Amino acid sequence: MRLWRAVAALVVAVWPLGAIAQGTISDLPRKETLIVENPEGTIKNAGWFNIWAINAGSQSNGLQQLGMDTFWYIDPQKGVDGVWDNSLASEKPIYNADFTEMTVKLRKGITWSDGVEFTADDVLYTIQTHMKTNGLRWSAPVQINVAEVSAPDPQTVVFKLKKPNSRFHALFTVRWNAMWMMPKHVFEKVPDITKFDNNPPVTLGAYTLKSFDPNGKWYIWQKRDDWKRTTVARFGEPGPKYVAYIDPGPPDKRVIAQMNHELDIIHDTSPEGMFKLAKDSPTSHGWFKGFPYAHPDPTLPAVLLNAENPMFKSRDVRWALALLIDIKAVSLASYRGAATISAIAIPPTGAGPQYYHEPLEAWLKTFELDTGKRKIKPYDPTIGKQIADMLRPSLKDQIPTDPAEIAKAFGRGWWKPNPQAATELLQRAGYTKKGDKWYMPDGKPFTIHVMVEGDLRPVMTRAGSMVAQQWRQFGIDASTVVAQGSMFDRRQAGDYEAMISWSVETWGGHPDLAYFLDSWHSQFVVPPGKPQPARNWQRWSNPELDKIIEDTRKIGFDDPKGVELGRDYVKLMVREMPIIPLMSYNVFTVMDETYWTGYPNAATAPYTDPVPNWGNTKYMMVKLKPKQ
Amino acid sequence: MSGYGLYLLTRLGQFALVVFIGINIAFVVTHATPIDPVEQSIAASTQFGSINPEAIEMMRQSLKELYGLQGGLWDQYVTFWRRIAVGDFGPSLSAFPTPVSTLIARALPWTVALLVVSTLLTWVLGNLLGGLAGYYRRNRALRFAGILAMAFHPIPYYIVAFLLLIVFGYLWPVLPISGGYTMNMEQDWSWEFILSLLRHGILPVASLALVGLGGWFMGMRSLVSNVVTEDYVAYAELAGVERSRILRSYVMRNALVPQVTGLAISLGSIFNGAIITEQVFGYPGVGTLLISAVHAGDYSLVLGITTVSILAVSFAVLLIDLAYPLLDPRVKAR
Repeated sequence: MRLWRAVAALVVAVWPLGAIAQGTISDLPRKETLIVENPEGTIKNAGWFNIWAINAGSQSNGLQQLGMDTFWYIDPQKGVDGVWDNSLASEKPIYNADFTEMTVKLRKGITWSDGVEFTADDVLYTIQTHMKTNGLRWSAPVQINVAEVSAPDPQTVVFKLKKPNSRFHALFTVRWNAMWMMPKHVFEKVPDITKFDNNPPVTLGAYTLKSFDPNGKWYIWQKRDDWKRTTVARFGEPGPKYVAYIDPGPPDKRVIAQMNHELDIIHDTSPEGMFKLAKDSPTSHGWFKGFPYAHPDPTLPAVLLNAENPMFKSRDVRWALALLIDIKAVSLASYRGAATISAIAIPPTGAGPQYYHEPLEAWLKTFELDTGKRKIKPYDPTIGKQIADMLRPSLKDQIPTDPAEIAKAFGRGWWKPNPQAATELLQRAGYTKKGDKWYMPDGKPFTIHVMVEGDLRPVMTRAGSMVAQQWRQFGIDASTVVAQGSMFDRRQAGDYEAMISWSVETWGGHPDLAYFLDSWHSQFVVPPGKPQPARNWQRWSNPELDKIIEDTRKIGFDDPKGVELGRDYVKLMVREMPIIPLMSYNVFTVMDETYWTGYPNAATAPYTDPVPNWGNTKYMMVKLKPKQ
Repeated sequence: MSGYGLYLLTRLGQFALVVFIGINIAFVVTHATPIDPVEQSIAASTQFGSINPEAIEMMRQSLKELYGLQGGLWDQYVTFWRRIAVGDFGPSLSAFPTPVSTLIARALPWTVALLVVSTLLTWVLGNLLGGLAGYYRRNRALRFAGILAMAFHPIPYYIVAFLLLIVFGYLWPVLPISGGYTMNMEQDWSWEFILSLLRHGILPVASLALVGLGGWFMGMRSLVSNVVTEDYVAYAELAGVERSRILRSYVMRNALVPQVTGLAISLGSIFNGAIITEQVFGYPGVGTLLISAVHAGDYSLVLGITTVSILAVSFAVLLIDLAYPLLDPRVKAR
């Protein structure tokens, strides 16, 4: 007994150590330091800051968010002062009539962190270096597009293009990243820039590198004394004096770190981790105040059907598969209900609902599908509400009741499961059912392997499992195939039948769809076995789609006709169903207000996407204030 | 040639053969991966940004040229052995152009330190307690230690790691749960830095030691239980030799021989890294590097790590083989 008493006494004596024994940063005041997760994890090439070399080092370790800058930013949400921001440029891109020339006017008074002024010479150097150097991150798009670049004066740059390109400015417009400007006075002294580590980096952003772990676990950035000579100064002084980007480990450790107030912003965690923080950490919050908490990124996870596979050639088959999916079950299985669903091939976030989901709601309600035996109206506008109602008994007042809020958080409608209509569609396509199994027109069993990523992306894997299960219950021999690290290779090679992935990604804040849609033109679709360039992974082509893309290329970025063409695209996708849209890619970014306030949120401060690996995070810095 | 000289030559030949075969197998396996480092790089580059499809094909060709992957498998094999001969593993494909050897050299000290400390700690404590438990079989404290050792031993070490993480990182947050040392600290071997290293190492070492202890404990207890039945031990006891001396000089010393062999093999395998421990505790090291290389299809780096591991394990076994005849003449006689 004496032994146990001694042990108990020891535990009681050392217990208070818990309050003082943590402390993750040496010599930096915690109240002046923002600690952010770097989702790239541990960086094996930690001392590499040459972001122009392809994947040689980390990008979202603060380098692109705090150190880099370029002409323009488009915010996935509302923006600090509108969606479009002229950052290094002083105005929007100026094109000539046939889009073969683009002029950029540069902002005056911006300096690099070593005091050298940023001018058109830096732009010329950046472009010309990429024109003559192969293997840099942006060498290929520059070499394909730019015939000549010149600077008539220190604040003007003129690009002459090899062929008309009405979206050439997208190369310099940040949506997560863009082509960043290089400091000429640093790089021009380097003999081989592909082998230059750029350590420490001379920055254009409001921060400079203070220190980093050679083993790639953390990076610390410090606010520049001359932050007023950077582009974000237009919106005020960045709040945090120091910003640390760290690898906090797997999702459960991120939750622990935030509960210990050692991680201010979790980039992403599991739905379960989010629910734990919402329940037990009063200072933590997500993008939405309540359920589903997560930020819907302008990315659309979907069931991609490989159009080069004969079994998916028929539109009837593709529609039948869509009508066999119960999206409510997929939402519960994947995001535990915290999904924002979308029936149309546009992410339901940012400007998407305003330009596409809301205006097309009436059309969707009247849309008719001919099954061969009858016409049905497959769209059920109440499914978002049904998900909310389903969750309300357990989550109570966390679930909104206002229909507009429900639509924003959970999405609007989706396709009502209709096995009878699916049967009719499959029969019209020549498929037959014998016993409880379906067979293809050639007599072989109707077998579908749904490729999923596995542990590397559990939420999407669970979605894929649920879809396969629902198809299987109907009599299709469906199962999942876990691709793990080979997912990218197999997706590019077209080595899959169906898969859970995304081929639709938009600007978020801007309705123009060329960002992803241009790559869907049939000119880029390759034969089976050849690597398909991003993003038409489904390898689907359609003359009507080609016409929409070609018409979009002829008009300017802000031309209202672009939205009309975008709606034509949506309607075509609904009619043809080459991919089955599921939901937006919801990111469980969790922000802790113990040390900082002013984070973005859906209700009162939708000024930017909170997901902190986006280049757009620089705008968050000027809104963050220390907690008093 | 003397018996030992012949024995030495045979063992050196075996060592060279094992290393050659091992590295060849590693080459074949890593090159058989369905993950293409070029496609991984392209996917990572195009995952977020706006890239023209025409540009992607150009990027693919540039990367193949840059990474030196344009030749066939045979060319790559010959180049690989040429480099190995001079101790160069070439550039990492997922951290190009940084040499693989630089990345391994940066990570290896962390893994070696973690595993040497945990292996030695486990070995010493396990054998000591196991030896005592085998000799003093009626001692209640040692019997309790035996129960604990048997209870912990079958638990996978990552479960123990998670338990420690939750207890000391969350319920009673007294120890750091991530990283090798405190952020923003200079690696200058000051007391502050060393203390930080030790604090960050406690949980990873404990997770490995708690599980590893049982194996050594039970092994040593069994060995001692056998040795104590030997005639010379009985004679020593009858002759009135002190029990502590019998334990130290008659029992433990004889029982330790196979345990030393086990220790040498364990020390050789530390170059494999402790993948899950490093992942759970966010501890820097070869395990983390290896996982990252596998995911990126970086077969240069995977091969580099595997080769170091093959060399280390084979070398440890060689050393044991060479030392055995000196310790036990029966081996030389065979």
